[in-house]
Amino acid sequence: MLLFIARRLLWMIPSLAVISVLAFVLIRLPPGDFVTNYIATLAASNEVVDQNTAAELRARFGLDQPMIVQYWKWISGIVFRGDFGFSFEWQQPVGDLIWERMGLTLLLTFSTLLVTWAIALPIGVYSAVKKYSFGDYFATFFSFLGLAIPSFLLALVLMYVAAMYFGQDVGGLFSEQYLTAPWSLAKVWDLMSHIWIAVVILAVSGTASLIRIMRANMLDELGKPYVTTARAKGLSEFRLLVKYPVRLALNPFISTIAWLLPNLVSGSIIVAIVLNLPTAGPLLLQSLMSQDMYLAGAFVLLICALTLVGTLISDVLLALADPRIRLE
Amino acid sequence: MSDTALAAPPARFVVASQWLLMWWAFRRHKLAMAGLIVTAALYIIAAVPGFFAVNDPAKQNARTAFHPPQAIHFLEWTDSALPSLRPYIHPYVLKRDPVSLASIYAEDRGRKIYLSLFAEGYEYSVFGLFTTRTHLFASQDARQPLFPFGADRLGRCVFSRIMQGAQISLTVGLIGVFLSLLIGVVIGGISGYYGGRLDFALQRVVEFVLALPTIPIWLAMAAALPHDWPAALNYFCITLILSLTGWAQLARVVRGRFLSLRTEEFVTAARLDGASEARVIFRHMLPSFASHIIASMTLAIPAMILAETSLSFLGLGLQPPTISWGVLLREAQNIRSIATAPWLFAPGVAVVIAVIALNFLGDGLRDAADPYNK
Amino acid sequence: MTDTSPADRLDTAATSRRSVLAGFAGAAAMGVPGVALAQEAKEAPALAKLVADGKLPKLADRLPAKPLVVTPIETSGTYGGQLRRGLRGSADHNGILRMVGNQGLVRWNMEFTQVLPNVVESWEVNEASTVFTFKLRAGMRWSDGHPFTADDIVFSIEDCCKNSELYRSVPSPLVIANKPGTATKIDDTTVRIAFEAPYALFLEIMATPLGQHPTLFPKHYASRFHPKYNAGVADLVKAANVADWGALFRAKLGDIEIPARWGNPEKPTLDPWVVEEPYTGGATRVLMRRNPYFWQVDPQGRQLPYIDAINFGISQDVESLMLDAISGKLDIQDRHIDTLQNKPTLSQNMAKGGYRLIELVNSGSQQCQIYFNMTHKDPKMRAMFANKEFRQALSLGIDRAEIIELVYLGQSEPYQAGPRPGHPWHHAALAKQFTDHDTAKANAMLDRIGYGKKNAQGQRLHPDGSKIFFAIDVIPTLYPDLVDTLELVKRHWAEIGIDCKVNTIERALYYTRGDNNEHDVAVWPGSGGLDPMLDPRDFFAQHPQGSRYAIPWTQWYVSNGKEGEAPPDGQKQRMKLFDEARGTADLAKRGAAMKQLFDLTAEAFETVGVCLAVNAFGIANTKLRNVPKKMPASWSWPNPGPAMPQQFFFG
Repeated sequence: MLLFIARRLLWMIPSLAVISVLAFVLIRLPPGDFVTNYIATLAASNEVVDQNTAAELRARFGLDQPMIVQYWKWISGIVFRGDFGFSFEWQQPVGDLIWERMGLTLLLTFSTLLVTWAIALPIGVYSAVKKYSFGDYFATFFSFLGLAIPSFLLALVLMYVAAMYFGQDVGGLFSEQYLTAPWSLAKVWDLMSHIWIAVVILAVSGTASLIRIMRANMLDELGKPYVTTARAKGLSEFRLLVKYPVRLALNPFISTIAWLLPNLVSGSIIVAIVLNLPTAGPLLLQSLMSQDMYLAGAFVLLICALTLVGTLISDVLLALADPRIRLE
Repeated sequence: MSDTALAAPPARFVVASQWLLMWWAFRRHKLAMAGLIVTAALYIIAAVPGFFAVNDPAKQNARTAFHPPQAIHFLEWTDSALPSLRPYIHPYVLKRDPVSLASIYAEDRGRKIYLSLFAEGYEYSVFGLFTTRTHLFASQDARQPLFPFGADRLGRCVFSRIMQGAQISLTVGLIGVFLSLLIGVVIGGISGYYGGRLDFALQRVVEFVLALPTIPIWLAMAAALPHDWPAALNYFCITLILSLTGWAQLARVVRGRFLSLRTEEFVTAARLDGASEARVIFRHMLPSFASHIIASMTLAIPAMILAETSLSFLGLGLQPPTISWGVLLREAQNIRSIATAPWLFAPGVAVVIAVIALNFLGDGLRDAADPYNK
Repeated sequence: MTDTSPADRLDTAATSRRSVLAGFAGAAAMGVPGVALAQEAKEAPALAKLVADGKLPKLADRLPAKPLVVTPIETSGTYGGQLRRGLRGSADHNGILRMVGNQGLVRWNMEFTQVLPNVVESWEVNEASTVFTFKLRAGMRWSDGHPFTADDIVFSIEDCCKNSELYRSVPSPLVIANKPGTATKIDDTTVRIAFEAPYALFLEIMATPLGQHPTLFPKHYASRFHPKYNAGVADLVKAANVADWGALFRAKLGDIEIPARWGNPEKPTLDPWVVEEPYTGGATRVLMRRNPYFWQVDPQGRQLPYIDAINFGISQDVESLMLDAISGKLDIQDRHIDTLQNKPTLSQNMAKGGYRLIELVNSGSQQCQIYFNMTHKDPKMRAMFANKEFRQALSLGIDRAEIIELVYLGQSEPYQAGPRPGHPWHHAALAKQFTDHDTAKANAMLDRIGYGKKNAQGQRLHPDGSKIFFAIDVIPTLYPDLVDTLELVKRHWAEIGIDCKVNTIERALYYTRGDNNEHDVAVWPGSGGLDPMLDPRDFFAQHPQGSRYAIPWTQWYVSNGKEGEAPPDGQKQRMKLFDEARGTADLAKRGAAMKQLFDLTAEAFETVGVCLAVNAFGIANTKLRNVPKKMPASWSWPNPGPAMPQQFFFG
């Protein structure tokens, strides 16, 4: 096992190197460059950029150099100096920009994850065991409702109702007076009173699909002969479920850990935009859309690294959860 | 056993093929049958949306902007005691608020506009083969059109647009879904079945695909495709390319299951029995988690329809004037619609219906195919 | 301080005692409470308290000898309050600029017709319009209290704008006939900017945002990051882990329109409010607080601004700005919510949100300018688009009345191009030619010029037999109304046998296609309705990203014939006329030259317009006073800046 992990960790180095090249090429693939986007953004408000400035910006950011030179400038900074570069847009170091948002991002996505799993798994198991009961149909109907309504639409409607009928401000994670206040008990409480709305909205579609998948996995297991055997042996229904089918039904979930970690950073971007959450998602999107290369590049590298770690964890867990799987 | 099975003469059991058995099992499942019927209906609508539309879905009309939905009265109460079945609507009269420029509609209860079946309406083409003017139903007075689900900001009929939107939403995106499922199952299956070096190599590929951002691909594709193609074809190409990156998640899940299944006795038995590897994978191993695959599929469909919405939120993917459910929902995504025209969210209902129908259909298929199912 | 609590008074007394101990003249110290009383009406209470505490010099020492006296729009105000305004996501720095950062040498009047003194007290221009001598305000200070003098302007122009390591080419407002102007200090309060060619438009351009460079860089602060003044700048560059001193300079001092301008609370400015919480990548709001050294007063001599602070909340999504607007969480806003489509919702919620609507006069001329690419790479298309009669026929094919009624709720009139009705330079022919809907005439014209052949579907063919087809580029996320308009135009053109596609694309692609001259047809709102001299892109091939009917001609123009393609004579004549008008100070003569230019534009008929640019609107809190009921909306008149938000107040 340890050998396996060590080998996989070693493999991450060439993987990351290849991904960094691919990511860099991908980020530069769309038409135009940062300066084009900058001009276009300003033009949206009928604001004009000085012609001389535009040419000057391109030269300043090195966008007029060949891609290989730009890549080398970027990657050598990271490898030799741990410097992820400057964001074109903000004229701020990329690292600061990302870390600034990471804390709240992780808090929000982890709570969403917990809520989702806590609601979805039991309902999914129940739905499968009591297949075609009223409860199953009820859960099915609501989970599909949750799936079919875009969560950002739901967010907007909730914000509207809260603002117009209850005079409440739903967007954001803090009230005005706590925005820049230092951390205190009151601020934590304020965060808690805001975060649950975001968590609920974010959890809706995730919960819905998780219920369906859990139900399906359970159905795959429940039909198998070993369940009948166990039942014939007189095992209590609860013990029977938890000991075998649920454990095996979790197998696909363990496989999903591979993209759970990167999703912590890049998931639910549009909801975050609509709800105005200060998480990493909107920043990532903006950097990709505006081709703010170094910022986008750092994000993509981070996501890649998380994916690699995620697949490793998921492979190890797969083997731990199911003795039939061996790591080689 | 249900009545159908019992009613069949015993001799038929003997000759019934596996498919026939599955069809019988399927027919017993009432919800699955309902799902099948609704799905069939949806695809008929998608095939000839013009027949079901009541107004030209692209026709703008300043006089009907934000027209509220109209109730259709089916029974007409006349002087005689019994009502007659003669559907009609009350027309609406428009006034515009001079300051806010908002349209204000009032129902004119004094007048009745009758509806008729197979009525003449705008001209549409069927499969691009021929054109016709016959619609399922329409208002008898062309100047007083019917708006069952109201009208949008440009006075276009929401009901007709939903009908038209079914065409793209139920076809283009789904091809991408199926393609990525296919690739996912095959690659995941191979990776999990063989394990070892092959698995290692394939998993590295999966990691790449999972990690790379898709937004720049969309942006680049949108630029690279010829601009004289119709929007739907462009979108189809983009979903096709993206399905080449969308398979990775399923591939991992399938591989996880295969890793645990490949040491099972029934797999060994099949292999010893001389079954080809493809047969072992697709006939023996895959069905043992058919539910999961069907669930992923039914989940991928709303995700795909809604992906359109998210993409057009970013200015990518399908854009108006192309009509699809996703585009319609995107057009409704603003405070104005919530505040003044909630009927613009009707396309969401269409998505819910389609998804639920497809899901029950999928459930029924799974149950019918499951040999353990009682 | 009439309402100071006993505790406050004790405090003050303590301070004065300390002052005495520190060796200040006893009389002055004793006078502090008295001075505070006398000044109570002249400055904000918070500042008066700082003065009383000895943390800030007296008002008289903070204001210049002759401060700019601003006449309030309605009435003199009272101090206090926080103004809430919204920004959208990132890259919305100009939302701050428009509200706060309009302190150039000169400014516009409310009507957008005349240039008035601002930072400078007065100016003189020589006969030839080549030498501009500005008189600064004696005793004026930056927001940190450091004197503002001629040195700052000379530093900004000579050491920054003309430094090739900082600006590879000099910002174009400071350049005429390819030569940058030269700034010289005459004395502390007199500075001269001289050009080698006539530049009559210089003052107007200095009143626009792009003309703010001369007052952007405080020498005493900025010279720390400039190698000419600080030999140790290399160490600072290394410490900040940036590539060169230029990057550090930009990060610390910003530029006219980049976010970093509002990202450094240390940087001294001349603005009415200064940054307290900066605009950075992680910010959820930007807070700006009053500049204690602000150099403008009301007619009673009370220091502006009236309002204590501005709170710019950052919303990622425009819809949440709309929500904030209708639930009364914004005090003044037009940016991002001013589309016509939002007007019904906003006006219905006026009472609930406690705001009123203000009218914004569109400074553009055309809502939907259609640019046929007359320099198309495909010779067949080029021949078609370059044919004037083809463009005229297509213009006649548009049913403008229907578009105006449907898309613009009846709030416009058929229009082509040129200064708006009411503008002294309004040109009837340029504005109204070929705006009738006349399909018969359009068909006849198309038949005559060789596009008479049709296929089975009734679609017209090129002379070589291929079908006429072109794509119209439009950015749906930016201008959803243009997509609606184009859908109607497409239908109208189908009626005269012309097939086209509404090509909805993402904005960077739109620009790339233009830059590479790859587009067939593109649309954009037409400019020059109120400011024809400042944005003449639709009158001749002037703007390399704007004059989309012939980008290569614009490149020829801006590069003085070195790049691009030589335009036809009519264009060359107009380029000459415009350069002439730009060098003419006499308004009548300038108008005559522009009249000639408009005649030529009307004759050439390069762009096809649909309808007059529709007025926008904004909202203002019902309690917010001194906001004009109507103001221009423009980038050159960066609303609401020239309406002087420093004299807004909560009544």
